[in-house]
Amino acid sequence: MLLQQLINGISVGGIYALLATGYALIYSLLGFSNWAHGEVAMLGAYIGILSVTSLQMPFLFAVILAVVGAGLISVFNEKIAYKRIRDNNSPTMFLMIAAMGLSTTFQNMAIVVFGPKFKMFPQILPVGAVKIGSLSVGLLDLVSLGIVIVVIIGLQYLITKTKFGLAVKAASSNMGTASLLGINVDKYIMLVFFLAGSLAGISGVLYGMKYTVYPQLGNVALKAFIASVFGGLGSVQGAIVGAMGIGLLETLVSAYIHSGLRDLITFILLIAILLFRPTGLMGKDIQDKA
Amino acid sequence: MKESKGDKNRMKSFSKRLSVLLVVLLALSMLAGCASEAAPAAGETTEASEPAVEPIVIGYVGALSGETAVWGQAGMNGMELTAKEINDAGGILGRPIEVIGLDGKGDPIDSVNAYKKLVSQGAIAVVGTNFSSCNIPMAAVAGQMEVPVIATAASNPLVTVDENGNLHPYSFRIGFIDPFQGKVLAAFAKEELQAMNAAVIMDLNSDYSAGVTEFFVGAFEEKGGEILTIVEAQSGQNDFRAQLSKIAPLDPDVILVPWIYKDVALIANQARELGIDAIFLGADGWDSKELITMAGPALEGCYYTSQPSFANPVTKPYYDAYVEMFDGLVPETEALFGHDGLYWIKDAIERAGEVDIAKLRDELETTTGFAGLLGDLTVDPATHNPDKSVSVYQIKDNMQEFVGEFRP
Repeated sequence: MLLQQLINGISVGGIYALLATGYALIYSLLGFSNWAHGEVAMLGAYIGILSVTSLQMPFLFAVILAVVGAGLISVFNEKIAYKRIRDNNSPTMFLMIAAMGLSTTFQNMAIVVFGPKFKMFPQILPVGAVKIGSLSVGLLDLVSLGIVIVVIIGLQYLITKTKFGLAVKAASSNMGTASLLGINVDKYIMLVFFLAGSLAGISGVLYGMKYTVYPQLGNVALKAFIASVFGGLGSVQGAIVGAMGIGLLETLVSAYIHSGLRDLITFILLIAILLFRPTGLMGKDIQDKA
Repeated sequence: MKESKGDKNRMKSFSKRLSVLLVVLLALSMLAGCASEAAPAAGETTEASEPAVEPIVIGYVGALSGETAVWGQAGMNGMELTAKEINDAGGILGRPIEVIGLDGKGDPIDSVNAYKKLVSQGAIAVVGTNFSSCNIPMAAVAGQMEVPVIATAASNPLVTVDENGNLHPYSFRIGFIDPFQGKVLAAFAKEELQAMNAAVIMDLNSDYSAGVTEFFVGAFEEKGGEILTIVEAQSGQNDFRAQLSKIAPLDPDVILVPWIYKDVALIANQARELGIDAIFLGADGWDSKELITMAGPALEGCYYTSQPSFANPVTKPYYDAYVEMFDGLVPETEALFGHDGLYWIKDAIERAGEVDIAKLRDELETTTGFAGLLGDLTVDPATHNPDKSVSVYQIKDNMQEFVGEFRP
């Protein structure tokens, strides 16, 4: 049964991971937690589900639309809010407040536009499981885990091996200097928002397929945020490790201690990390977090 | 207005002014008529049109927004439709009804505040909510403010009787209580399904879930069945595999899932994915058209108990009127509670012979055989619990099929 619980935990952690990397990317570049990130995932899920159910699009096309759409919404946030705040040289705190505002706005907009009901993706994959002895792994979980792994490897490649990654790393280490060296910082910030938004879009669709699509879906990003603090804010690898850690922790606490303590223990972990190891597992520098 | 004694001239200008006033009043009343037609939900009084007869204000509290708005909105719609029907037939004792609906968001604090606000707006009775967690605190507040609150589907015993067994004198209910459903489910599982053993997954934050579980477990064991395990989870966690993985190796005959439909759909699908093939049993939290859409084939062959619903042919005219009034919207059972709630209040006021809150309360308490769309209702004065039967439904070929009426 422990093995089955570990499988359950990894499958939960995978979805947190896609969201957590988005937090990490934006934090590493701009030094703030993008609270609207979860709502980008939620809107991505709605784009996906409406494309499939209302517009009768083929599933793959709907997913692409959701991913690109979520990326564009993320860029939209950057353009209408964050960029202006940066251009005004306002404190980082303003970015976070703007992000909270966007988050609430999107969530309420979704209630008005899409209605408060839960929506279910039509079953693309049959509900079934791959059986290995007494263990069973859901088909959808296998597919999502595959997607998560491919995306994370791709992201890793993008950051470590490409000019894009180099520019982002330069900009995140010192934006002013990077700009002086001829890097078009605004362009790269926009690209990072697109990337983070697309990742949120994938996770939104996967989450929606696994569970349901509803206006408060974005709240799951809180767990992803904790995961990225756990792994070290700003570190993409840390975010992935942190997300898997949180997924496993939650499952094991639910299974072996008490379901009621699940969130309590997760949040105690958050506080403990902030107090005793503010850099998280893999973070580089100590900065103000949250 | 007193007679004016002045000269002819003054008299003339007065009557001129009076006629202008009358024209303005007429125009205003037409405007008000239009406004109330355009927005019946706004709950604005239409005093200009009928200044002499003050409407009887009746409140409704339900989740008009949020995760459970699917029921609250149906209840509110049902109240509006019924109020229109009653008003068209002459109102109550010649007075029209005015329904004011406030959003309780399915939250205890918001629901209590909504109740208080309705009382301050002159409501003589309040219908709602469908959640025991909201109605338990509302019952205590109703005792202080002395305005009856009539719970709809809220089925925990504590809604009308407190933990020490004292009656909440101003709290009533249309639906049956949890024990009924838990007991009926246990009897049904043991006798009809021949189940030897059962497992339970319950919501640890819900009085409703705990109530059904407690009485199911008691009755099932009493009948010689074995409860293999009771696992706890929380609504909103979305992933129940940690808990279900504990049930899977025990291979129970039936699993009780006393949750609301959204969680039921998630639990059922995740359980099937983990290879659990037991029959799921549930209570009236399952009762939504959304359940089958969301759960897909995972619930095929499973059973749940609920109030009598639109499956009953006597509800057909009301169903049709609802669909017509709300542009093809399919009503949830909660709409029937709105209907029965209003007619029950009407019945009690008419028995009292006057609009008096204390007398209304007394008449509600001594109701015998009130015939609503949800079946005949007789109130037990000691507990305010209605005596009525429970319907069992099966999910078959993506339809909710009526199995029969059962008593524990």
